[in-house]
Amino acid sequence: MNTTTKNIFKLALVAGIIFFAASLISKSVDIHQLNIENYSAEKPLFGADEYQYEAPKELPANDAVATKVKWSLLFFVIILIMVIANAFDISALTSRLTGKQAINSNNVNKWLMIIFLVIGLSAVAWEYTVHGKHVLLGDSASEHGVKLDSMFSITLILTTIVFVITQILLFYFSFRYSKKEGQKALYYAHNNRLEVFWTLIPAIVLTLLVLRGHQTWRSIVYADVDGTKSTNIEIFAFQFGWNARYAGDDGILGVADYKFISGKNKLGLANPSEVDSLLVELKAAVVADNIAIKNLPQTLDQLKKDWQAAKDLQDNEAMSSITKEIEEINCGDRLDDLEASINRKTKQIERIEAIKKDPKVFATYFTKAEEDDVITQELHLVKDKLVTFKFRSRDIIHSAWLPHFRVQMNVVPGMPTKFTFIPTKTTKEAKAENGEDFDYYLYCNKICGTSHYNMKMKVVIESQEEVDAWLKTQQMAFKAMPAPVVTPAVEITTDSAAMSKDTTAKKLALK
Amino acid sequence: MSTETLTATHTHHDEHAHHEHHEPSFIRKYVFSTDHKMISKQFLITGIIMGCLGMLMSLLFRIQLAWPDESFGFLETLLGRWAKDGKIDPNYYMALVTIHGTIMVFYVLTAGLSGTFSNLLIPLQVGARDMASPFMNMLSYWFFFLSSVVLLSSFAVETGPASSGWTVYPPLSALQKAMPGSGLGTTLWLVAIILFIVSSLLGGINYIVTVLNMRTKGMSMNRLPLTIWAFLLTAVLGLLSFPVLLGAGLFLIFDRSFGTSFYLSDIYLNGIGALTNSGGSPIMYQHLFWFLGHPEVYIILLPALGITSEVIATNARKPIFGYSAMVISLLSIAVLSFIVWGHHMFITGMNPFLGTVFMYVTLIIAVPSAVKTFNYLATLWKGNIRFTPGMLFAIGLVSLFISGGLTGIYLGNAALDVQLHDSYFVVAHFHLVMGSAAIFGMFSGIYHWFPKMFGKMMNNTLGSLHFWLTFASAYMVFFPMHFMGLAGVPRRYYQFSLIPEFGIWMNVNIFITVAAILGGAAQILFLYNFFRSIFKGKPATQNPWESNTIEWSTPVKHIHGNWPGAIPTVYRGPHEYSRPDRELDYFPQHEVGNGEPVHYEGPVEVQKTYATDSKDSASKVFFSSFAHLFMLKKA
Repeated sequence: MNTTTKNIFKLALVAGIIFFAASLISKSVDIHQLNIENYSAEKPLFGADEYQYEAPKELPANDAVATKVKWSLLFFVIILIMVIANAFDISALTSRLTGKQAINSNNVNKWLMIIFLVIGLSAVAWEYTVHGKHVLLGDSASEHGVKLDSMFSITLILTTIVFVITQILLFYFSFRYSKKEGQKALYYAHNNRLEVFWTLIPAIVLTLLVLRGHQTWRSIVYADVDGTKSTNIEIFAFQFGWNARYAGDDGILGVADYKFISGKNKLGLANPSEVDSLLVELKAAVVADNIAIKNLPQTLDQLKKDWQAAKDLQDNEAMSSITKEIEEINCGDRLDDLEASINRKTKQIERIEAIKKDPKVFATYFTKAEEDDVITQELHLVKDKLVTFKFRSRDIIHSAWLPHFRVQMNVVPGMPTKFTFIPTKTTKEAKAENGEDFDYYLYCNKICGTSHYNMKMKVVIESQEEVDAWLKTQQMAFKAMPAPVVTPAVEITTDSAAMSKDTTAKKLALK
Repeated sequence: MSTETLTATHTHHDEHAHHEHHEPSFIRKYVFSTDHKMISKQFLITGIIMGCLGMLMSLLFRIQLAWPDESFGFLETLLGRWAKDGKIDPNYYMALVTIHGTIMVFYVLTAGLSGTFSNLLIPLQVGARDMASPFMNMLSYWFFFLSSVVLLSSFAVETGPASSGWTVYPPLSALQKAMPGSGLGTTLWLVAIILFIVSSLLGGINYIVTVLNMRTKGMSMNRLPLTIWAFLLTAVLGLLSFPVLLGAGLFLIFDRSFGTSFYLSDIYLNGIGALTNSGGSPIMYQHLFWFLGHPEVYIILLPALGITSEVIATNARKPIFGYSAMVISLLSIAVLSFIVWGHHMFITGMNPFLGTVFMYVTLIIAVPSAVKTFNYLATLWKGNIRFTPGMLFAIGLVSLFISGGLTGIYLGNAALDVQLHDSYFVVAHFHLVMGSAAIFGMFSGIYHWFPKMFGKMMNNTLGSLHFWLTFASAYMVFFPMHFMGLAGVPRRYYQFSLIPEFGIWMNVNIFITVAAILGGAAQILFLYNFFRSIFKGKPATQNPWESNTIEWSTPVKHIHGNWPGAIPTVYRGPHEYSRPDRELDYFPQHEVGNGEPVHYEGPVEVQKTYATDSKDSASKVFFSSFAHLFMLKKA
């Protein structure tokens, strides 16, 4: 390939990159206007009943500035590419003129090392000053967070010093000791004292860091070891949302178990009447499943008729969904599902009945402490009061993260976890600092499925009186009229498996 | 050149008369080849293809993150129903993230890096005709190939590929109804990983045996190039840790398909009801996974460090500073990597005491890493540096290794991890120290050993351009992510626009995506350079980099058995560059010296100036050498 074609190739490549980048950037300019329309069209795919939709607030954005930044950025990139390309062209030219082919770009690369170091370090400084403002979201809103933040600051200072020194040495050495004609490198293979030195210094610094880290860690995790000093609040996670459960007047959280979860009893509290009605429900479902198995041939016939009817109406959507169902029955998947469902429910019934039979076990479960428990969709905490979150997951692993409070703990099914801390800044105070739109949130921080990115719960920090007043407005789990978070009607309609069972049972009843 | 004279003296072919000189069939030569050089090319090219796919996936989800509400027509053309109306579906986003991670960690940086260079360099640098078991070596590649095909085939599945993150934590990955990707996609993922483990074990056993048993005469362990030390330790790590992942994967398959409860307990699934599983623990999976997962990080990194050690020594024309310290630090990293896995799990609810233990050992592992960095710096000092593309990438690796390594000090601290866990800070950390650094090591190796692999030279100018663009984009992509993470932006979120607080990162996300596209475009330079040079590159000379190691004594055109005559004998270590007693600034390991001392300690005046004289007081010597090193004092 000769030089001309080479240059054309280079130019085309650079132009292509620029064009691609420009087209993408230009599209981004008016994103904020588009936001609102698209959100309203947003539909959850899974767990529609529990999807806590919140209308997005308009983003604070200065489009003019943003556009300017983008275009200047693009300009910078173009210039950079051109400079580099030209530098190489010049080096290629000189190499051809001087006839020295071997390592002629050495000088270019040498200077690029220094340029990169200078631009890089200034960019780092810019990042530290501009983006550094948002680091750790301002002062900690919890007591242990202050210790954590000082630990962070120490680490930040130390690592920044090491970062700057080592990067400067690396690029400076590369620049300073690049190849020169007639120069020979220094034969210097080892120096054990130096090795000892740069083993010991990091070791000492890291020891100091680790000791302090140890202290901080202990003060966080052992804040209330025996669990007597703090108020317990249960944080309940499910795909895709959160609930908080307050202990109520008796100060004790009632026992809960995943086996007791039902449409009405969403958190699975051990309430005798709820559990009894769940048992009835389960037994009915088993009967319905059995009947559905028996009636599979008839269901198939009916589906075939429906398919014919849909075909006559040329309803393609209905046809494809019916075809899917027919396939499901034909390949035995439906039968497997029904049998598995019977199996599961029978086991569940057995287990619940075993609990009820043994008076000792019964007493540990059904303590009546659950009667005044309050289940909420927001988390209200008292300022300057030690609180312990007891985490429980309904389905898979979630992680409760309250970044403003430096609180995070995984929520693991089958393994209770907890976190103890003291919130120190009320929502009002935070709003005064960050603007009226500000709110504390609890985010999910462990990948948990489709709507992971929108699984959050509002957190409010206020005075004891305010929290008490707010709790009164919330419904108690069982004592007052039960008003569950999700109404049973919704639960059943979205629960497709249950629905199909119901319809089969109803059809049967009609026959 | 000395090599010619050496091979000329061994004209008798009695040792390998069995090497019949007929050309093997096409299939034996190019497909089911048992020749380590061909297998290394197969690994490399498969790795490059997988790398491109992984990179394209990352660009797709970066586009989603930068413009969450934009509609891109080409996405719908490309992905069909997964990007209806030009917007990537949340489930597909998760799938892209998962498969990107899996491909990059296992298929590119484990098999693509270790598979390529262990295969190429172990026999050539220790002086062996081939691997201990060429047939197992071939099996290793084909299991890897099969595994890649199975993994990619999951894109053809109706419910999509595995989507629970590259760590596939149960119960999300164990419950088929928990998310679409946990259906057949995850089954295929698990099958692919099991095939991959088989491949990795077959390869690893081979590497270890070859290094330990098949070194040529004179190649004692303390004369091994650092590449070989790194590959050896990598293979040991893989051999000890991959079987644990195999166990974890098998248990997960049992839980998914045969109703066992290794990882499942107390679960109520929406739309299904209470599951019967009881008594298992999802945390157990995490322990098993990270028992592989953390050594895996070093399985990725050590070969890259080994490669750069050799490349830096060769191109700085200096012995690597502190050979024994480098080996000892590799060894201690390898040993420590087995007892630090818990730092991935500080906030899973495991006993806080364990958190303390894992914090201590994790921060200890920073010490050998620091030693390596300082040794690299000292090697560059007073060198005569040639900026070949391989060298540029090696220097880039050191820079990225420093930047990414330092943030490990935050994450290894259990207290700070409470805040930083699973945030973008983690994403930035591991992409710099493990992702970018290792890929830079791989590029360094490709540019450096391309002449050995293909007998051609790559274009240096394109190589440099490729380096600078990739280097700049690596920092532009990952550096701002630290600040996002510190400001509480969680990873693995499909979009951030639903959370007003993250609005300030909108522009940063766009910046990162543009930088990523730039970095992606820079790889076109590499691909063009790589594939063009295979066919049309300038023919390579036998020892283009004037290197000491014995792979450069083999003929440019590959032959079966590597050396036409007897395997050369090794007389010295791999780093005798710029010896003052020689005119040439290199001294190949196999070149017969004349009457030199066995342990060459360097010239007397250097020894005096830089203090190896034990009569001086320790502190005086130390400070004077330190002062020299950092140019406080003129030598």
